[in-house]
Amino acid sequence: MAKDEEFDVIIIGGGPNGMTTAAYLAKSGLSVCVLEERTECGGACETVSPIAGARIYPHAMLMYASPAPGFDQLELHRYGFRMEWDPADLIEQSQGGLGCSDGWRDITPKDQEGWAKLGGMLGQPPFSKELMRATFWCPPHPADIEVSDENTPYMQVYRKYQPDIWTPELREMTMFDLLDEHCETEHFKTAMAFAAWASGAAGHWEGVAVPAALCVQLLTLPNMGRTSLPRGGLHGYFHAILRCAVHHGAQIRTQCPVDEILIDDGRAVGVRLRETAASGGLTMRAKKAVIAAVDVHQAFLDLVGPKHLDPGVIQKLKDISLKNGTLYVSTFHTKQPLRFNSKYEKGACNAKRVGPDRQPAAGIFPCDSRELYYENVADVDGRKGQPTISPEHAMWFHTPSQAFDPTDCQGSYPRGYISAAFEMNVTSPDLHKEGEDAPDLHKEATDRFMRDSFSQMLDGLDDDNVIHHWSATGREVEFRNTGLIGGTWCGSRHDEDQLWTNRPIPELARYRTPIEGLYHAHQTSGHPGGLCLMAIPYNLMHILIEDGVAEPGAWWYASPYYIPEEGKISAFMR
Amino acid sequence: MPAGAGVEPERPNMPNFKYESKFRYDPNDPFGHMQEEFPDESEFDVVIIGAGPNGLIAGAYLAKAGLSVAICERRFEVGGGLATEENLFPCYASNPHVLYHMMVDYMPALRDFDLEQPSLTWIKPNAQTGMVFEDGSSLLLARQVQDTKDSISKFSYKDANSFGRAVRDWKRMVHDIIGPATYIPPLPPIEMTMAMQRTPLGERMMEIGEESPIDIITSTFEDERVRTLMLYASCMWGLDPRESGLGFMVPLMLDRTMNKCYCYGGSHKFAGALAREFVKHGGLILDAAAVESILIEDGRAAGVRIAHEGRTLRSKVVMSTLDPHTTFLDMVGADNLPAELRQDIEGWSWDKWSFNTLHVAANEPPRYAADDPWIDKCFATVLGIESVDQLLAHWDSVVDGRLDLDSFGGHSTCESLLDPTLSDRPGKYVSMFQIHAPYDLEGGWIDRHDEVMQAMLAKWRKAAPNMGPESIVASTMEDPGEIEIRFPQMRRGSIKHGEYTPLQMGSFRPTQDCSATDTPIEGLYTCGASTFPGGLVLGGPGYIGAGRVADDLGIDRWWKPTPEMERYIKDYLEE
Ligand SMILES: Cc1cc2nc3c(=O)[nH]c(=O)nc-3n(C[C@H](O)[C@H](O)[C@H](O)COP(=O)(O)OP(=O)(O)OC[C@H]3O[C@@H](n4cnc5c(N)ncnc54)[C@H](O)[C@@H]3O)c2cc1C
Ligand SMILES: Cc1cc2nc3c(=O)[nH]c(=O)nc-3n(C[C@H](O)[C@H](O)[C@H](O)COP(=O)(O)OP(=O)(O)OC[C@H]3O[C@@H](n4cnc5c(N)ncnc54)[C@H](O)[C@@H]3O)c2cc1C
Repeated sequence: MAKDEEFDVIIIGGGPNGMTTAAYLAKSGLSVCVLEERTECGGACETVSPIAGARIYPHAMLMYASPAPGFDQLELHRYGFRMEWDPADLIEQSQGGLGCSDGWRDITPKDQEGWAKLGGMLGQPPFSKELMRATFWCPPHPADIEVSDENTPYMQVYRKYQPDIWTPELREMTMFDLLDEHCETEHFKTAMAFAAWASGAAGHWEGVAVPAALCVQLLTLPNMGRTSLPRGGLHGYFHAILRCAVHHGAQIRTQCPVDEILIDDGRAVGVRLRETAASGGLTMRAKKAVIAAVDVHQAFLDLVGPKHLDPGVIQKLKDISLKNGTLYVSTFHTKQPLRFNSKYEKGACNAKRVGPDRQPAAGIFPCDSRELYYENVADVDGRKGQPTISPEHAMWFHTPSQAFDPTDCQGSYPRGYISAAFEMNVTSPDLHKEGEDAPDLHKEATDRFMRDSFSQMLDGLDDDNVIHHWSATGREVEFRNTGLIGGTWCGSRHDEDQLWTNRPIPELARYRTPIEGLYHAHQTSGHPGGLCLMAIPYNLMHILIEDGVAEPGAWWYASPYYIPEEGKISAFMR
Repeated sequence: MPAGAGVEPERPNMPNFKYESKFRYDPNDPFGHMQEEFPDESEFDVVIIGAGPNGLIAGAYLAKAGLSVAICERRFEVGGGLATEENLFPCYASNPHVLYHMMVDYMPALRDFDLEQPSLTWIKPNAQTGMVFEDGSSLLLARQVQDTKDSISKFSYKDANSFGRAVRDWKRMVHDIIGPATYIPPLPPIEMTMAMQRTPLGERMMEIGEESPIDIITSTFEDERVRTLMLYASCMWGLDPRESGLGFMVPLMLDRTMNKCYCYGGSHKFAGALAREFVKHGGLILDAAAVESILIEDGRAAGVRIAHEGRTLRSKVVMSTLDPHTTFLDMVGADNLPAELRQDIEGWSWDKWSFNTLHVAANEPPRYAADDPWIDKCFATVLGIESVDQLLAHWDSVVDGRLDLDSFGGHSTCESLLDPTLSDRPGKYVSMFQIHAPYDLEGGWIDRHDEVMQAMLAKWRKAAPNMGPESIVASTMEDPGEIEIRFPQMRRGSIKHGEYTPLQMGSFRPTQDCSATDTPIEGLYTCGASTFPGGLVLGGPGYIGAGRVADDLGIDRWWKPTPEMERYIKDYLEE
């Protein structure tokens, strides 16, 4: 038998978090191997071409990562990273109003001002980048440090730059509370809260007002006036990360699923591949660390296995809540382009039509009031089954991202028209009261429900006009990408019990695990959670430096809000 | 602020390319960006257009040679024909283009690069190509010659023995001559003839070359079915069955048909491994970057301009892997071409036929109503064709822009038999059925898409009764028009970027001036499927192009010819 291969670090999972970790570690001079189950890396940062020339994004679409230190630490521009934008976009969009059941309603100056202020745009100088970094790009504090108003990074930033936002209640609020204080109209608040529900922490969750508001801000403010779309989609951005890792010597092995993390005397020493792996069921050794960049349930319950964990931890792992909604994504191929119906045609400003075909970019709909929002939340996370809400009340959003990329089919598809993606939150398969296969059994009905809902605002979704309705249930998503447990977009709820020093459970909050040499770096397991932010890897780097695993070069800088753990090497280094 | 924060990171010295960083983050500019992007102006030694197999191979050799190289790719993913896509969305992936890897045994790139061993794996099943007939009889072309002979013997002892004898010679022709010659710049016809005259094998090959495929097949075999399979296998990639002058391709195609490989994980895996090899050595890939024009300065190529984004990549050398019309007429510009070159390029002819491919996901692999259980295990299975005449009639009508839906056939493969990982749902099988088809279908593809798809499903089901609606969970069909939508360089669905005729092969591909990859325009090279040795994943044009560019830039080749090439050079080319 061939001798086991040996690397300094083995990373399980080639999604954005695994790959960014690989890039950081390879750039630090370590020998790194990434093992990816699928034949293509990228995880949920992927692009799919269901028919020739049509490109759809089944999961991630929009760029939230702009403030990431990774852009300069990893120098992604040297690996082809580009953004794509239409300068007319967001400015016009924000002037375009929000879709409500009685038509478009304006966003007022007070809404805009309050929102800009929360995002740090009105400071002198504007401090958005620092605020975002403090909130997302900083590892949770060590367990022995009590989290306080004084040491919470975003609290420090507000106090320094915008003291009138700082209140002792800020850390306890919901995002709705915060919006009530700073913004004006109900439809604006509802829309932002809904955007938060689909981007991170939701508008109604306790104690996460700031992370919830800021994850939406990540999308808007730092890219003010620009579409948040990297050229080539988020998979294009992912390519830059992957190529950085490869350039620095990381080995990428696709189609190499890991079946087991090898543990010897309480220490992770390597992995064993599944038998169908392209290289067969080999074992591989890791000298310094194994990093699980796959979902937290799989990582601990399957790959590590219960025999290495105590029952208390196992129960907590099982209880990690996935209620962050499964985003049901629909993209349409139609004979004639979609159009606003007569009610919305009037008043749909120019920015609501995108691409050469001037197809609609509807935004969030319907944004009438928070009652509507709660009705949706109760249906998805409360009743936990097929939608019982009426199609008129179901909230969805229609992201314009693809419509701007002229290399894209959305720019010109010679055989009909490809729409931008529609997304709606639905119950996750794992929570579905009829069982995890129910979403598949009801797929036809769900698709129809979706079309009925979207038709409240848009014409062209009738059977005669639709050639393809591409969608995937949460269950299908789970098969497609094992990283997306429950088909949820971020895998585990970003609420106060599962964020920051509590993510995913306090015992695992600093990316370390009860097993020496084993770290985790997946959206489901580490702060700040979902989105392709390069945040978990950056945060994890602090810990790997503390443990002496990584010694990055002069390009490295730690978060200014990071607190080193007693007795460890400080990630401030110099 | 604590130490470290805000410190401008040191820029490590990397070989990739030269540019001037103009990025500065300005918090006061609400339109300013937070992250630096690939620069608008940059400078490389070499820019390659197209990240298909040839572009990637050329890039990998040159980057490893220490040059700064960029590959610009129009699509969101590298690979060109090396594509594996979830075209049965969601959950089922398949290979819409390259499925059969014919030259794994010879391609230098597979030896010169480590390519992520052990995770890039080739599968070469023994049961290579089967053919099933309406009466339930069947034929098999196996990797192991004796298995093929056993199968042929069901119809004709004589043919079985003729096969054995012919293949002995054909294999040697491929092994000693055609295989290695694929990776060496072509000789003009006269020199080629002289070279071949050095050995009896070479002389026999020249003789075969003068014959047409149909002559070769009918003079070698007597049984109708054996002839039908042999003719199909010889000409399925676009040889004209009746044309003489390219007869040497018959041994090549038959030998390779018996030795083709599947890339475990799908063909894109090969592309991914090549791309990473390229990047590892400092190469830059720009995807979603369609080249709009080639910069011509003082009569020489000086770089490329990217469409839609106003970026320019300057370079000493531009290598295009696209078809001649795109490269010369569109990107260089007809007006910048010497008259003779322009005339040659305008006379380029596209493939006479294209492919139309049906992909399905099903609960079972196809089970053919055939007398030989090995047929169900075949890498490829030809169905719907009963005789040489029917085959010729089918191909003739395709060339005429028609598809006779009562009498057509094609080849099918169940990819999942070789690769359980293509389907993300356990217990499901992905298969495809591909037929030759016209680009300009009478009645139009858009209007006849469903009709053709139904006819193919019916045809398939007739041969494999379990391929019905009760088993099929998803299906999609890609017609020649869609090939061109995905790949504009495959004009008119030309899978090889241009037809195989004696005047477009060897030292004439794409023109006599350009067949060794350099062109009359200084600094411009052409090294895609339209350059010698041609289409399919041979890796020849890219390899030869890399060698030529390295020589012209005065860079040492770090690679050596393969042992087969060395022997061929010694036996046929050296003074
Ligand atoms: C519908 C939807 C919309 C979204 N929209 C956005 C958006 O607009 N912007 C944004 O930034 N984010 C978005 N996201 C979220 C984003 O895609 C995820 O947060 C991100 O992909 C998480 O990255 P990850 O590396 O943690 O995990 P994943 O992307 O899940 O990657 C995990 C990887 O591990 C592999 N793997 C699993 N098990 C094994 C094993 N045993 N062995 C080896 N490999 C294994 C998987 O195949 C996968 O490649 C969206 C997500 C969804 C679902
Ligand atoms: C349906 C089908 C089935 C096939 N089956 C097989 C098979 O089984 N086995 C086999 O060996 N071959 C097969 N082929 C043929 C094979 O795909 C091609 O011959 C081969 O891919 C040619 O390689 P290449 O590198 O020269 O060019 P290509 O693979 O064509 O790559 C060219 C690249 O250039 C890019 N490009 C185009 N325009 C621009 C631009 N303006 N700027 C930048 N980039 C651009 C394209 O996107 C593409 O990636 C098949 C082809 C088709 C269509």
